Amino acid sequence: MSPQRRRTSRPPAGSPYGPLSDDLSRRSLLKAALLAGVSGPSLAALLSACGGSEGANGSATGSSETLASPDNPVKWPISSKNPPIESGLKPKPGSTLRIYNYADYMAPGVMKDFEEEFDVKIRLSTFNDADEALTKVASGDLKFDIFLPSYESVGRLVQADLLRPLNQDYIPNVKNLWPEFLNPWYDQGWQYSVPYTVYSTGIGWRTDMVSEDVGARENPYDVFWDPQYKGKLAILDDLRSAMGMVLLRNGIQDVNTTNSDDIAMMRDQLLELRDKTQPRVTIAMYNDMPSGQYGLCQMWSGDAVNAPYYLEKDVSPDVLRYWFPSDGRGLVDNDLMVVMAQGENPVAAHHYINYLLDAKVSAKNFGWTGYQPPQKALKPGSLVKDGYVPDNLSSAVVQQQYFDNSVRLLQLPVATDNQYHQIWQEFKAGG
Amino acid sequence: MADRAKAPATRWLWPLLALPGTAWMAVFFVAPMYVVFAILFGAVDPILRQPIPVWNPFSWDVSQFGFVLEHITGADGFFGPALMRTVGYVAVASVLCLLIAYPVAYYTARFAGRWRGLLLAALIAPFWISYMMRMLAWVNLLQTDGLVNRTLSVGGLFDVHPSWLSGRPSTVVLGLVYGYVPYMILPLFAGLDRIPAATLEAARDLGASRFETFRRVTWPLSRQAVVVSVLVTTLPMLGDYFTNDLLSGSPETSMVGNLINNSVLTPGQTGQAGAFVVLILLVSIVPMVIYVRAGRSGADVKS
Repeated sequence: MSPQRRRTSRPPAGSPYGPLSDDLSRRSLLKAALLAGVSGPSLAALLSACGGSEGANGSATGSSETLASPDNPVKWPISSKNPPIESGLKPKPGSTLRIYNYADYMAPGVMKDFEEEFDVKIRLSTFNDADEALTKVASGDLKFDIFLPSYESVGRLVQADLLRPLNQDYIPNVKNLWPEFLNPWYDQGWQYSVPYTVYSTGIGWRTDMVSEDVGARENPYDVFWDPQYKGKLAILDDLRSAMGMVLLRNGIQDVNTTNSDDIAMMRDQLLELRDKTQPRVTIAMYNDMPSGQYGLCQMWSGDAVNAPYYLEKDVSPDVLRYWFPSDGRGLVDNDLMVVMAQGENPVAAHHYINYLLDAKVSAKNFGWTGYQPPQKALKPGSLVKDGYVPDNLSSAVVQQQYFDNSVRLLQLPVATDNQYHQIWQEFKAGG
Repeated sequence: MADRAKAPATRWLWPLLALPGTAWMAVFFVAPMYVVFAILFGAVDPILRQPIPVWNPFSWDVSQFGFVLEHITGADGFFGPALMRTVGYVAVASVLCLLIAYPVAYYTARFAGRWRGLLLAALIAPFWISYMMRMLAWVNLLQTDGLVNRTLSVGGLFDVHPSWLSGRPSTVVLGLVYGYVPYMILPLFAGLDRIPAATLEAARDLGASRFETFRRVTWPLSRQAVVVSVLVTTLPMLGDYFTNDLLSGSPETSMVGNLINNSVLTPGQTGQAGAFVVLILLVSIVPMVIYVRAGRSGADVKS
């Protein structure tokens, strides 16, 4: 409906982020420079990269990129540089499959089973936040086969030509997924990505450390600004989740706002939050809250489901609570699996992705990570009954209909993304 | 005549001996530093906003450096507090380290007697355990119902439940002191151990009290070791970020190391990390110069 958003304006004068190039040929030069310059081990490649980028230094104009959104579904072109693999191949026995993922976000048992069944060694590397992951993946020389990004970065990954299009012949198990994920707006026809998990972003707390029922507040998000919890709470070290929460608190459903007043308001409230409650900024809620480091935090639903396993033995799991708006009008997201072009074992990568989509395997993985896969067999209505999610955390179950009216974090235009990052930088520098 | 005959051999010998060190410096300091500059003054790719190093100094772009400098002071100076905090924390931690390390090193060097070997081993023991592990151990001890609070409340007798890990400067300083004090003890011990016993005996023979001996002989002779040990602990503290990450994790205790860590990992901000690195380098060159001068005057005294 809304026209494809394109950014053509110049970055603000004195932009700290360096010049951006509009010119297409120059842009591909830059891209080549980026890939060659950082991944190429040879000095010659580095030098040629420098030759390419120097010219671009002077021309600071905008760049155009395609931004996918539910209103603007995108079917990405198939990469000519990284062709999909041939059908019908088997992974080489004894070969290595490199996976890049968040910590504690994939069951070790599942990986071990796959290793035994397919005679492939899995090497897992982990990251802490999406920005860090993107930075390392872009260097290209880490040779990751599978990467688990969030959906708002898939566009960037495709446009930087870092992904290998999927050969869908290898992945018949997609039939197990919720049907809406077979043609998602961020990657029409799932040419590059397969969904891994669905999760919401809400508030978690422990009734033995927080006496009030946070979810019963008129505006539960206010709790993060309540001075009585100073030094006793944490918010997610993920700028989009944290900043989206600030917007939602103010009733702004467009968590991808480019409106400068909204952005200014968001900055002020974020800094106010920091000064009023001195939050810890981390993504280790699933461990920190159960171990008693704090009793209240912004939380991903999967971490809430997982938290009971990290509780000390003498604490009852009944103390854990999770709040998410029951009408689903909060942050609901999904993470993906993609095959990286830089990987050396794309065949094993395809087999592994298919393996993870198997109903039994993904149920086992869910049991360990707490993050719900969008599998038909795992009906949201019966997750509590079947013992996947404890009763007191039933609100952490992601309902399929959440996706009808939930708030989605989208890839931002570059200039806005820079603004968000600068606010986050200011927030994290401390006052 | 003999001198002239020797000259050609020594003329090449000394530079040759310096070669490995020079090569080491070139490969592991000068070259990486140049890369830092190339990124700091370089460009950013438009899609993933990764840094693109610019190797030619004539086309360097100073906007990222300017951005950092602009935001250190003034109304928009949101980096300023973190930099001041770093100086404050590191200063306090260094003084505390010295207060702890000096007596320990002094005792070990002068009075430990036959326990000396054992004591030295005990002092080195913390090095056997990874720094990260030692910090994680503190997280366990300091959490709300951890051992420290349980001890303070004497098993529930008093209700003392400070939340140590919630962004307290004192906890961060404690972490720094605990983490770096072994690095201070060793050079101090080496320095104190080198003071000849005869000098001290001479001072006592000439009528100085124990305290006077310390004040007029031991302390001046150990001053250089103090400078060295303060430097070897202070400089790494300046770049430390994980002590802070593990023991606080709150922006309210962010140090310059955290600023570097955050910006390195943020698309489009990598160059700013280079700016902080350069700032730290400039700041740490000052004590280095003091140290070198102290070393020179020490050499003068000896000769």
